[in-house]
Amino acid sequence: MFVHHNTLHAFEHLPFELAVIEGWKKYGAEPYLSEDRYRQEFLRGRIAREDIEQVLAKDLDHRAEEPIVLGTTRYELRLAMLLHPIRNAPEEELRWFIAETKALREFRDDVPPNVESKVIRSVQEWMERNSKVTQQFTQQFTQQFTRQFTRQFTQHFTQHFTQHFTQHFTQGSKSEDPTAVSSPEQWRAWTLEWLHRVCIKGASLVGEVLNDTIPVRRHRDIVLGSHGIDCDVRVNEQLIRFLGSATDQGFAQWGLPDRDRPLFELFQELYGVRSIFQPGWLKELSDLIAQDRASDRSSIESIVHSLESLGLREYGLDDFIDSTLLSLPGWTGMIWQLETNAEWTPRPLRDGSLQDYLAIRLLLDRASLRSALGQIAELEDRPSLEQGSLSMERLAQVLAFHQRRNVRQTVDQRAFILFQVAQLLGWSPNELEALSATEWQSLMDEISHCGTMERRRLLHLAYEQHYRNEALDAIASQPAPVAAAVPTTASRPISFQVITCIDDREESFRRILEEIDPAVETFGAAGFFSVPMYFRSSSDAHYIPLCPVVIKPKHFVDEIGQLSQQELQRRQAEARRVLGQASHRLHMGSRSLAAGTLTSLLGSLASLPMVARVLAPRLTSRIRELVARVVKPSQATLLLIERITPEASIDATASGAAHYREAKLDQEAMLNQGFTLEEMANMVERLLGDLGLHRFARLVLILGHGSSSLNNPHESAYNCGACGGGRGGPNARAFAMMANDYRVRKILQTRGLEIPESTCFVGGYHNTCTDSVEFFDIDRLAPSRHMDFLQAQSLIDQARERNASERSRRFTSASLGLKPPEALKHVEARAEDLAQARPEYNHASNAVCFVGRRLRTRGLFMDRRSFLTSYDPTRDGPGSEILTRILQAVIPVCAGISLEYYFSTVDNAVYGCGSKLPHNITSLLGVMEGAASDLRTGLSQQMVEIHEPMRILFVIESTPRAVLEILAKNPVLDRLVSNRWVQLATLAPDSNRIELYQDGGFADYQPTSSAIRVVADSYACYHHRRDHLSFARLGVQ
Amino acid sequence: MSSVLNCLAAIVLGCPILTLLILGLSGLIQRPLPERLVDRLTKFHVAMGLVATLGILGIMIGTNHSMEVLDLGNFVEIGQEHFHFHLEFIFDRLSIPMVLMTFVLVGVIGSFANIYLQSDAGYYRFFVCFSMFLVGLLFAFLAGTIETLFLGWELVGLSSALLIAYFHERTSPVENGLRVWGIYRVADAAFLMAALMMHHWTDQGEFLRMVNDQPWPQGTSHLDPLASLSVGLLLLIAAAGKSGLVPFSGWLPRAMEGPTPSSAVFYGALSIHLGAYLLLRLAPIFADSLVIRVLMFGLGALTAIYAAMTARVQTDIKSALAFSSVCQVGIIVMEIALGFWYLALVHIIGHAFLRSLQLLRAPTLLRDYRTLENAIGGRLANGQPAWIARMANHRQIQWYRFALERGYMDSMIDQALLKPFRKLFKAFERVENDWLRWFEGTSRPRRQDP
Repeated sequence: MFVHHNTLHAFEHLPFELAVIEGWKKYGAEPYLSEDRYRQEFLRGRIAREDIEQVLAKDLDHRAEEPIVLGTTRYELRLAMLLHPIRNAPEEELRWFIAETKALREFRDDVPPNVESKVIRSVQEWMERNSKVTQQFTQQFTQQFTRQFTRQFTQHFTQHFTQHFTQHFTQGSKSEDPTAVSSPEQWRAWTLEWLHRVCIKGASLVGEVLNDTIPVRRHRDIVLGSHGIDCDVRVNEQLIRFLGSATDQGFAQWGLPDRDRPLFELFQELYGVRSIFQPGWLKELSDLIAQDRASDRSSIESIVHSLESLGLREYGLDDFIDSTLLSLPGWTGMIWQLETNAEWTPRPLRDGSLQDYLAIRLLLDRASLRSALGQIAELEDRPSLEQGSLSMERLAQVLAFHQRRNVRQTVDQRAFILFQVAQLLGWSPNELEALSATEWQSLMDEISHCGTMERRRLLHLAYEQHYRNEALDAIASQPAPVAAAVPTTASRPISFQVITCIDDREESFRRILEEIDPAVETFGAAGFFSVPMYFRSSSDAHYIPLCPVVIKPKHFVDEIGQLSQQELQRRQAEARRVLGQASHRLHMGSRSLAAGTLTSLLGSLASLPMVARVLAPRLTSRIRELVARVVKPSQATLLLIERITPEASIDATASGAAHYREAKLDQEAMLNQGFTLEEMANMVERLLGDLGLHRFARLVLILGHGSSSLNNPHESAYNCGACGGGRGGPNARAFAMMANDYRVRKILQTRGLEIPESTCFVGGYHNTCTDSVEFFDIDRLAPSRHMDFLQAQSLIDQARERNASERSRRFTSASLGLKPPEALKHVEARAEDLAQARPEYNHASNAVCFVGRRLRTRGLFMDRRSFLTSYDPTRDGPGSEILTRILQAVIPVCAGISLEYYFSTVDNAVYGCGSKLPHNITSLLGVMEGAASDLRTGLSQQMVEIHEPMRILFVIESTPRAVLEILAKNPVLDRLVSNRWVQLATLAPDSNRIELYQDGGFADYQPTSSAIRVVADSYACYHHRRDHLSFARLGVQ
Repeated sequence: MSSVLNCLAAIVLGCPILTLLILGLSGLIQRPLPERLVDRLTKFHVAMGLVATLGILGIMIGTNHSMEVLDLGNFVEIGQEHFHFHLEFIFDRLSIPMVLMTFVLVGVIGSFANIYLQSDAGYYRFFVCFSMFLVGLLFAFLAGTIETLFLGWELVGLSSALLIAYFHERTSPVENGLRVWGIYRVADAAFLMAALMMHHWTDQGEFLRMVNDQPWPQGTSHLDPLASLSVGLLLLIAAAGKSGLVPFSGWLPRAMEGPTPSSAVFYGALSIHLGAYLLLRLAPIFADSLVIRVLMFGLGALTAIYAAMTARVQTDIKSALAFSSVCQVGIIVMEIALGFWYLALVHIIGHAFLRSLQLLRAPTLLRDYRTLENAIGGRLANGQPAWIARMANHRQIQWYRFALERGYMDSMIDQALLKPFRKLFKAFERVENDWLRWFEGTSRPRRQDP
């Protein structure tokens, strides 16, 4: 199971901007995209100049107009630094850059000509005024120029040539009066040279800026720093092997002996004895274990002992333990999960495993350190350190390790930044020359306050603002609700209604359906459709929870075969079991000695499926399906959704396909099989209330969603988040069954919710990877409904093709001109292709979540980037109960998705799991990179490559007052909103007025432009385009 | 007929070389071809090669030939030293099946990789190495002289090491790539020495001359026992290094650092069998030497048992498959030692296909397990053999640790091979420094490192 989750969940109590910097300090992870990347976005118009200006003005607020020097305000200074790339480089590169490029001969390309000429003129005038000084300056200048040339060329040219060159140059300069005949080029060079010298002078007045020291957290850092020996490498390698075995969920054929004992004991047992050929440091380890065993230490005592012998005091202890655990963050997290939150896995860990793990890690660290010190002693021919308490201070002293304070910016570096800023702002050297020391100080301070992190933060805000404005403008350009409400009144017939998940991937599907038939109505609700349950299909072995992870379902639902099919299903199940066991044996056998020989000898047969699957994935899967039909469970099944007595439950499941399962049905499952009628009525009422669905068409389709793909360890991440990473089909099916039940309708009628007799619900399942849609229980439709259903189905089929075509534009392996039917074939092949690393793009590019009536967004092309939640503010009570429960689910879920994508994109190596190409599944638990590495969490590079990292923007159709009240009552939501982990705006229910949340209140949003692109239909919008598309209004409505 | 055959043989060898040249050169002048073109080029040339090989096979069956030789003459000739680098290729019962298998596997994996690596930063690099690998493999399989075999052997080694270090922005792929390269060098050194000795004793490197121009697997050599023993021993070391036999088995799981398709085709299927192929090709020459055959059998058996045990405790899919491969290669070596050469050939080919498919499917393991669990209707038994459970507890733990630590093969090589090697050269360095100082006369010899 994989569920999207805020990567920095533990930092949610901090404001977003602080939290990302904390993450940077703690994990070394990038907080934003790189400055270059924002710069590219600026160049291609994704960030506009106005965005930067507005963001900056808002950020500086009243400090914007404060003058810094030479009449330049803080705003102007920062703006110049944001709009233009400021080059900074290591000292050596900078020197090269100044010497070898035109940096001191020509102005930067982005300095406007008028600014350039103004500066030169100012210099010229100044020189005329002070001709004496000019002479002096010229001499100085030429001298320096000569020196520079001499220095540069001595290595390459003969002394003679240099002399000649120098003579020529000096003569040339001396012979004439510089002010009279100098060419513009020379003037420019002089000006720049002077400017640079002034900048160096100014920068040296202030001095160097020192970095914070590189933190020394553990002993390993000291040894690494002083002798370049990384004690962690071998420790990690050893530990990964051990942890792989200790947490194995059943992959290895030969498991750790007696693995139910505590980790610490297992470890002691395994490594307590010496073994031949083991590397030297493991001998140290077995000594340490022997000591522990001799004093009979428990894991906690061993930790204490280890800490003592590592000389740790109270002070800095937390930091030490943190960083020790963080040297393998993925494994540490997995152990904690297996210990606390995994009773459903085949092999959870015992309580106290994390503590055991720490004890083990410390033992290994000590052994590795001791062995490294022995190595160093041998190398340097000196007596080994006597054992005993080895504090970090002492270690640093012995190894002569001096913490170097890196100079963050040398004078030259700062001067060069200043030099660039001066050019951009048109400061002339003569003016700068006149600055006082305090002015220099304040100038340099100002510049260093706008360092690269600060610039990235501001550029990111501009990046978000640009998209936010586009989105809000598009929503504001929709017809005002009063006018739009007219067609939904009883006058206009509805051909059928579709309820899907709020998922951004369903946005296009809904839009296309509405496009094909304007009389279709669509709704969006969290994809478990208010039916939380444990579900077990007729061909599954275990129950899986189908509801958001925050809810723990109380009800169990089984799928069983229909009575007439039960004999057939029993035989099929038997056949599946036999085949399954055979293929499992084959699987295991191929890796063993004797059976492996046999399978290998016949292995040439494997060439057939391999060639077929790789070269023709879609065809192969068709053939496989045809063959598999013999054992595939038939569609003729029933859901046991109704509460029955425990005895009857056993009867029912036993008579169904369930008899072959493990005989012990879970006690809890027996007691809580199915829902009572009352519960069903509650669930139906709740969902219909959430949706604001009160006018029913004859046919209501309700579609859960999921995704299937091959060779994809992250497969369940592509499924429905509201179903806890499961597939939402059974929820839709269950809901349709409940809503069709006349007894449920009767109860609802007494509560004032009338579902017309002519209305019928059909559950279905939308596979977002292959764009297939399958329907459940259609054989039970009344004959009078067949026509309705067939019409709806043919519309759905058209929509599938068009949806596939819209999705295909993102796939580089699909040619751009793909026609809808071909596109459908293409996406079907993707799901079956073993080689496909990007079966679909999942939530990549998600950016908005709209909560409100569909008519407020209907007819808007949102490029599959928006979650759409249905909510009718006009039918909500005064206390906004409905909105409360919707937001309680939607904000955390969508924020989790958005933030996980954000972090995995801005730093794929740390927050994400890197490229999925070398992934290696281990212990049936997670993935490693290559042969052995930390467990990788987060999203892969292939999943996020088209994502634009932004905090999600919620647009809620409600009043600011109602939303603020909800926030006040729900600290979880409030924390996300007020700490700026998400963006929030409201859309008035009765007008197009938009208000934007900031700092605890709402402020009016003024649309920046009223013009929105109008296109004929979605196809015209995305046709022949691969990149992100802007909002558009679809002409045909 | 022979000209047609020569023509086809030229296609078999020429097409991959052409691919390598086009890809390599265009990469070298900083004008890499677009992905689509790389894909078409590779596919076209592999298909051509496959068809040409089938053509050769057809003609040879039709004309009842069992061997066809393509002689390209001497590449280098040093008269007075009696050395010549002779390029000669043999199409016979051994090489044709191997070449067919190579083309099929490489073709399939190539089109797999084309999708799998799409728009990855290293796409081009992968395909350059990939075509180099193909050329190397063809040279090795078709080689008629020991020099040609060495040429192919080296190309395979180089491209393998480069592909292990494919993700060169992380440290562990580069370190592991270097380690594998190091072990390959040991194997190469042994191979080279064997080749020189062969030249020394027989004045030639042509396999056919050595077995009196008899087609494989007939004919026997006329090497004297001592020569055959020493050459055989060296070749055994070379094969052990290249095929991951004991004690070199540790490199194979480390090779799983690259992208999945390269792991599949290189280490799972093709290059792992190169050592076994070498033994198979030269088997007629050593058929008479009982010592070599006993040693070979022992090494194979030891490897098979060791790897079978180690594979059982691995918890990640790629390492488990790697050790299973080693186990089968051990068995193949045993078969060669026992003289079941055709069986070994069938075994190599079958094993290569099976393992490739398994490695390609490795990322889908979680889903496969779920499907199986659902079919069986419960958790899967892990199939721990009964004899393990019968072991005494402390024995069990000892053996488990031995298997978990992969028999400490790497550490053994470090201690038994690397450490003395480094010590020796450190000592040389000291002596040299001392001598230098003494010559300079600046100071008396000191025993201290500079």
